[in-house]
Amino acid sequence: MNVKEYILSGVVESYVLGLATEAEQQEFEALCKQYPEIAQAKLDFELSLEAQLMRDPIALPGVIKERVFQSLDTSASNISYQEIEDSEVPVRRMNVWKWVAAASILLLAGAGYLALTYNDKYQRLQQANTELKNQLDQSNARITELDKTAQTLQNPDLKTATLQGTANAPGSFANVYWDTATKDVWLLINNMPAPVSEKQYQLWALLNGKPIDLGVIEPNIWQEKLLVKMKNVQGAEAFAITLEPQGGSTSPTMEKMYVMGKL
Amino acid sequence: MNAKTTYEEGELISLLKQKDDQAFSYLYDNYGGALYGVVKQIVSDGEISNDVLQEVFVSIWRKIDSYDPSKGRLFTWMLNIARNAAIDKTRSKNYQQSLKQLPITDAELSHPIIRPGYDDFGLKKVIHKLKDEQRMLIDLSYYQGFTHDQIAKALNIPLGTVKTRLRSALTQLRIMLT
Repeated sequence: MNVKEYILSGVVESYVLGLATEAEQQEFEALCKQYPEIAQAKLDFELSLEAQLMRDPIALPGVIKERVFQSLDTSASNISYQEIEDSEVPVRRMNVWKWVAAASILLLAGAGYLALTYNDKYQRLQQANTELKNQLDQSNARITELDKTAQTLQNPDLKTATLQGTANAPGSFANVYWDTATKDVWLLINNMPAPVSEKQYQLWALLNGKPIDLGVIEPNIWQEKLLVKMKNVQGAEAFAITLEPQGGSTSPTMEKMYVMGKL
Repeated sequence: MNAKTTYEEGELISLLKQKDDQAFSYLYDNYGGALYGVVKQIVSDGEISNDVLQEVFVSIWRKIDSYDPSKGRLFTWMLNIARNAAIDKTRSKNYQQSLKQLPITDAELSHPIIRPGYDDFGLKKVIHKLKDEQRMLIDLSYYQGFTHDQIAKALNIPLGTVKTRLRSALTQLRIMLT
């Protein structure tokens, strides 16, 4: 085997950076044991990689270290408590007053330890409480939103069009609800691919073979809202969604149609 | 907590394996910034990077027993933990929803955009000096965690070619680092 060639093949860097497959890793580790030159080349690359990454470290947000230590649940505080108890031993040889004084100090230390522990616990509970409250607020907002959606959907004047994916996106699926009384249009996207950058989906109504623009769909809005209100339309035979440049088009790009369905 | 300012690597490792708080604190202070930089270059979002860094140090603490110095330096081992954790995060559902994901074939990949605060330090600073094709291969495999197979399919080139080109990119990278 040509060791020099092997070292220059890029396999060393691939191994160190974690890009090698399991089989390649095993082979490399075995060869490292066999050929000290390969092990040395690995160490050299590790050192220059380390030097480059250590050159300009990013300033760390202070809270993370605290959070790391908290989640490790270290027993450091228990150790200091143990030390306080151990200091009882030499007290036996002292006279009564010294013993009382020592006991008071011991008590004080114990009380201080408890105060610290409880304060810490209190603060952690308070933090947990705030977090829960925030989660509750978010959940409530979500429920209100869903209630509104349910009310809209219960409207007896509503007609539904089921839009199925075209060859462009076979798994896609959306529903359009059209209010025959108010002419309001609501869109529910069940599943559609996220549009590529610079592109937006646009909803169209089809009436007498002519497309009517019902507005562009803000990217990812269907992840925040179940029902998205679109432009009103006086009548429609079918609905379709196409992918258009940012801001929408005046007429639909037919080959970029993603879903369509009849009312 | 910083009673001691430097450790020799072997000493640091044996203290870490004994779960020494002080050694771990030193580890965080000394290497945290470099690992945070790598995480940020993969994850981009500041708040999520913080979560990942926390996970990384908790993993280091828990897995230190399985670290084998004969396979590589401590830093290399930690770097791989950080990279894997960050890539795992980018695959999670929450992350996908929080950021608009660009498809792998997007034109941006072939035109380097250097984002200040993200790409102008550490390894990326060096990678940006590589040829476009080499930079793209390292970006896809190292920073986005795609397998050689996935890259071959996405770019529509044979698997063997991906491997050869990636290795020559890595060799070039090593030359630039030394």
